[in-house]
Amino acid sequence: MSLDLPQLLPQIDAMGESAAARAARLAKLLPQAVEALDTAAGLPAEALEARLARAGDRWPGAKPTDEPLDAILPPPPHPERLNIAGADGSQIYPDRHAPLLYYLINIGTILIEQGTGSRPKTSTRPSLRYEDADLYSESDALINVPLVNGERDVAEMAALADLAESSHPAPTLALLDNGLLLWLALQVQDQQREPADRLLADYLRQIDRIQAAGAAVAGFMDRPRNASVLALLHLALLPTEHVDEANLRQNRFRGLTDRALFAQQLPPGHRSARFVHASPVNRDFRAAGHEVQFFYLNTGEDWHIARIEIPAWVGESPRLLEWVHAGILGQCKATGGFPYPLVRAHELALVSHSERQTLETMLGRAAMGRGLEARSSQKARTKRWTGARRRHRL
Amino acid sequence: MADHTIIGRVTRCSTRGFVGAIRLPEPDLPTFGSLCQAEAQQGRSQVVGLIYDISIQDDEFARQLATAEGVTPEQLADSQANRQVPVEFSALAVGYANAGKFHYGLPPQPPLTLAPIHTLSDEEALAFSASLDFLPLLLSATEVPVDDLLVAALRRASALRPRSQRAGYLLQAGRVCARLLGRDLTRLETVLNGLAVTA
Repeated sequence: MSLDLPQLLPQIDAMGESAAARAARLAKLLPQAVEALDTAAGLPAEALEARLARAGDRWPGAKPTDEPLDAILPPPPHPERLNIAGADGSQIYPDRHAPLLYYLINIGTILIEQGTGSRPKTSTRPSLRYEDADLYSESDALINVPLVNGERDVAEMAALADLAESSHPAPTLALLDNGLLLWLALQVQDQQREPADRLLADYLRQIDRIQAAGAAVAGFMDRPRNASVLALLHLALLPTEHVDEANLRQNRFRGLTDRALFAQQLPPGHRSARFVHASPVNRDFRAAGHEVQFFYLNTGEDWHIARIEIPAWVGESPRLLEWVHAGILGQCKATGGFPYPLVRAHELALVSHSERQTLETMLGRAAMGRGLEARSSQKARTKRWTGARRRHRL
Repeated sequence: MADHTIIGRVTRCSTRGFVGAIRLPEPDLPTFGSLCQAEAQQGRSQVVGLIYDISIQDDEFARQLATAEGVTPEQLADSQANRQVPVEFSALAVGYANAGKFHYGLPPQPPLTLAPIHTLSDEEALAFSASLDFLPLLLSATEVPVDDLLVAALRRASALRPRSQRAGYLLQAGRVCARLLGRDLTRLETVLNGLAVTA
């Protein structure tokens, strides 16, 4: 056994203590946050706008929309017919120790024609990338993890756009297992700005396609850790003249999450007000006509609070917003609060360890059949030797 | 060669039998007590098996849906028809075919992993069951519902024959069973009662 668990016991114990102390501290903060929501909702719009203006563009809090901050909106009726498309992706990252240099993106999709009783359409689309143009940047750097993730995100959105177009004109909701913003745009270094910008443009084009097909699109985030609504409440409680960087940093709700706040507020099936996502990446989305908004939704089981991200054109269309709200709730009933299409899309996309091993054996054979040597690095082989060792199981 | 239908592929095996997997069972295949065969010895022989167990593996997701409220017809159809939950069936080796002839004993080698498993055509099943020499091997099996399997296999074999020969076939089978199970009258009675229903 490599992990010396007895040695860890005191640390595990201390961690439990720390978690309990933290939970007790946050439980005391929660009523204050609930009260702050009430106070902030009662502020005149100009007063809040003045504070927001002083906070500036780099402040990371949520911004209000046309809905009152403390709005609690009941579930709308489910449309009789609604197509629900789900997409998820997985990947094998390039590994210089593997027999051949490549990476793989695998996209799983499902299209449920709710209300027809028919068997959903599922698909799995694997794509092997191995050309130099796929693997290396202009400066000869090997493609990195954020870029591979970005390509996967674009492929997921493209798969949803395909399904939305194929479903037209039936009412369709396209669901993504994550937020809508392309995080790659924040993660890459300057030397990878060009491929990242290209991916961002492609991603936005796919959302254009979904919009043109008349479908709604939403990103579903389970167990969100965001606290941007709480940041807004902290801002709202500051007198306008005290809104500065130092005071904004002294967030009185630090450690608390929006999810904890809305678990107090939202009955099952209800959603919060919509807010505008404060990320700098949202500027690009806004420029393309897809500013990202979000709301919290109690998906109905055990106060399961999810964060739903939507483009503004979905949020501002009562019809599309109803599809998102009612469509997600309908798909969460059987699966304990997480949408069925996303459970299945993940299952369809997942590349297991044994599938990866089989793929690499096949790639090795394909190379050897053409007289090429395709062997793992010595380091990878020694890891296999030791990894295969029998271990005592706890 | 008779027309064969592939009903699955071997996933694990021994000389005593083999286990096959399929993605979705057809309404008629595989069924308890039917004969099947899988290629062995690089095609030189075919192991003949009697299907005695068909199981559908579950997983946590299937268990969640089974107990959940609000499963829609579309989700049900997806889980039953699309999800790749393999159906496994187990076959007891009761003989093998070699050079166009059936032998009633354990095969020299088991089939290989992923060998296709075929049904026996009616003519082949008729020829294989013409001899009742597979019954001792079947009765000696352990951890298999032998009595029910025996009755199901013999009833199927008799149904392949012209109506006028069916009672005679079952009577002959009953006599062999009486000889083989002479020391276990309770089991013999169960088997004979099972055969009598169709006689």
